[in-house]
Amino acid sequence: MVNPILLIIVPLGTAFLISLTASFLKNSTKYLALLAMIANVWVSIKLLPAVMQHPINVVIAGVKPPLGINLFVGPLGAVFSILISAAGLLILLYSFKYIEGDSQHKYYTLFLLLITGSHGMILTGDVFNLFVFFEILAISSYILVGYEGKRNGLEAAVKYLILGSIGSILILVAVALIYQEAGTLNMADLADKFGMIDPSKRLMILVFFITGMGVEAAVFPLNSWLPDAHSSAPSSISAMLSGFVIEVALIIIVKFVYSIFAMTEILGFLSLVAVITLLVGEFAAYKQSNIKRVLAYSSIGQIGLILFAMSLNSTDGLNAGLMQIINHTASKSILFLVAGFLIVRTGSYQISDYRGIAKKMPVSAFFFVVGVLSLLGVPPFFGFFSKLSVVMAALHTGSVFNTVMVFLVLLGTIIESIYFLRIIQIMYNREGDVGSVKEAPFLPLLAIAAFTVVILAGFLVLPQITGYTGSVASEIVRKMQMAQVF
Amino acid sequence: MNGVLSISTVLNFGSAGLIVLGLYIVFTQKNLIKMVIGIDLAETGVNVLLVSTGYIKGNTAPIFSKTGLQVSSMVDPVPQALVLTSIVIGFGVSALALAMIIKLYEKTGTLDTSKIRGLKW
Amino acid sequence: MRKVISFLLLAGFVFYFATLTGGLIIPDSSADRNSVGLDILSRSAGETGSANAVTSVVVLYRGFDTLGEVTVLFLAALGVSVFMKSTGEKRKKVLDQSFILKTGSRLLFPLMFLFGMYIIAHGHLSPGGGFPGGVIIATGFFVILLTSESVNFNKTLMSVLEGLAGLSFIGLGVVGLLGPGNSFLQNFLPLGEFNTVFSAGIIPLIYAVVGIKVGAELSSVVYAMKESK
Repeated sequence: MVNPILLIIVPLGTAFLISLTASFLKNSTKYLALLAMIANVWVSIKLLPAVMQHPINVVIAGVKPPLGINLFVGPLGAVFSILISAAGLLILLYSFKYIEGDSQHKYYTLFLLLITGSHGMILTGDVFNLFVFFEILAISSYILVGYEGKRNGLEAAVKYLILGSIGSILILVAVALIYQEAGTLNMADLADKFGMIDPSKRLMILVFFITGMGVEAAVFPLNSWLPDAHSSAPSSISAMLSGFVIEVALIIIVKFVYSIFAMTEILGFLSLVAVITLLVGEFAAYKQSNIKRVLAYSSIGQIGLILFAMSLNSTDGLNAGLMQIINHTASKSILFLVAGFLIVRTGSYQISDYRGIAKKMPVSAFFFVVGVLSLLGVPPFFGFFSKLSVVMAALHTGSVFNTVMVFLVLLGTIIESIYFLRIIQIMYNREGDVGSVKEAPFLPLLAIAAFTVVILAGFLVLPQITGYTGSVASEIVRKMQMAQVF
Repeated sequence: MNGVLSISTVLNFGSAGLIVLGLYIVFTQKNLIKMVIGIDLAETGVNVLLVSTGYIKGNTAPIFSKTGLQVSSMVDPVPQALVLTSIVIGFGVSALALAMIIKLYEKTGTLDTSKIRGLKW
Repeated sequence: MRKVISFLLLAGFVFYFATLTGGLIIPDSSADRNSVGLDILSRSAGETGSANAVTSVVVLYRGFDTLGEVTVLFLAALGVSVFMKSTGEKRKKVLDQSFILKTGSRLLFPLMFLFGMYIIAHGHLSPGGGFPGGVIIATGFFVILLTSESVNFNKTLMSVLEGLAGLSFIGLGVVGLLGPGNSFLQNFLPLGEFNTVFSAGIIPLIYAVVGIKVGAELSSVVYAMKESK
């Protein structure tokens, strides 16, 4: 049986290795990163069937939890690991041709550390360890947002850093209170003891934790950093951030609310916040003229949708939310990655400058269309099934509140379609002339194509996918338990 | 020490006060460097809060420096380890923040957030 | 306006925290406190051979956190180097430092270096360990960097040291993985005699690695900041 800890130490070790060998390998260090990502994809795929039976508990330092730190890998851990590794691998391939310059090894080191942080957050079974990996994730993303050294990127990175640090402080307050009240930092142990804490203190811990993590998950009103950060970062990084980083933070919130704190009373409030997030995101996206800002606000809207599905307090809702995450990872990555080369080739971020670009960059335009249609939920793309399950799950709960929310969700979709189809219309405009613009290079297009395969063919393997997401949903709804030792 | 101030009052109000003061600075100041100082203050406050969860009245440091020291006379070692990690992380973030702000200053010539309005604050 | 609202919000939080929910309550004796830490404390000396229980927590029981912490430092140093690229040109000659300052700092540096190593090596016997030790070593470098205009500071050596130290930490952990317990970072060396320098298994080794890493990282951060504007 393969040890899940490899998912963390392989990218981490490779990052150190790159730092060690940078002076003589120079730009070839990217192949080390490639090896690490391939290893991760392989490990996460092998892990998936193993954890479907029962979750795996990996003991670290030979000390059993709750005294020591452990990794807890259930369906949630395995599914998200595949998501992170696969998306990471594809975006890495894209980066080979997208990132230029002399100090590339720094980019690849940071890239691997972002992956390490993401895996760590998902797989850990200890609250403080979660905080540490959260910091690794956050700091690598702060640096990567400002990586190009341009003024917009720097400003966005500083703003992101300041807001993110406030989030970290709030999470730490929650951790301190947890240790004070429960005397333990192990998640499963905490799930056991949490019910015995004073209710007012429980609420306080919950509020601090959700607010702190919510900054990184981009829920309203803590998401003012996102439009700037995701639009000013290099496009490969925008794809990583929108594609899985914010979703990881969101799923951690969901995991804690359901299976550790077991405070589902907060879900009504969360679904309200979710719908507000959705509407704010979509309305704001409608007004943008910068393509990456459109995509960034759209991510905010999508996070609202995912959170709404997950706060329905039903396994169906969680299932739908997970499918929506998979859809968003694939579609938004396509959109950001295509946008990356649109910007490089035309030198402009403004959508109006892409008039008629479909003639010169037909493959990119095609992929963009696929991404948009899936995001909107047009059949037979994967997005249709995910959005349908969200709506169905909401209507199944039978509550009037949720039915009203469904209408607002559909309103959001209508607005989405307007601004996205507007973009496509501009791109395919016959009279446009973008000058001498070449198509994107082969390797990035290949990476984008891999994402589109997921979207196009998703419905063929729909039952398998729902099988896996269903297991994840059941895991979340149950109280977290100490699992069998690995 | 006897009197009005018990140790728990000092720790409670001290840590909460530091956190609040730090966050207040971040929310209301416009100078980027002052914001970083505010974050630093708030982080110190959280560290005080965290380390005080381990304190037991009248007990001493958890080091078996001579034989015969009883476990029941020692404080909890885990919060100290947590704070060690947290201080280092906080230092890393502050160093990074300052480096980025210096570079931003080079590009824009100002540290005032209301003037750096390329993107909305 | 923003100021008033923030103030009210935050003051409300302090009031709520300290009074209504009772805030922190300091227990009167060990018997009143039920926590994982106290359980660890009762076994730490026997299981790890380290006299300093905090060290055993940092390196062994929560060694994974320490690995993460070391990574965060690595990230910070990397980030500083991304943003503070050397301007290349030679800086204008700074005020010529006084003779006392220059020789004083050169005398001080080896002492600080030695003291830092002492703190690192005794991490499991007295308060201290890899992190403060590494910081002291870096401060030694800092003193030299501040008082001399030109220093032969080898940036490549520093990044090699960082990478190597990081890999060694993981390497020590992997040995545990391949060993009998099948557990990352397990203590595989003999525990030795309590309260001596050569005891506590891999703890001094890990702290040494950490100390090297911290020293290298902080020195390169300071150097990077000095080298740019």
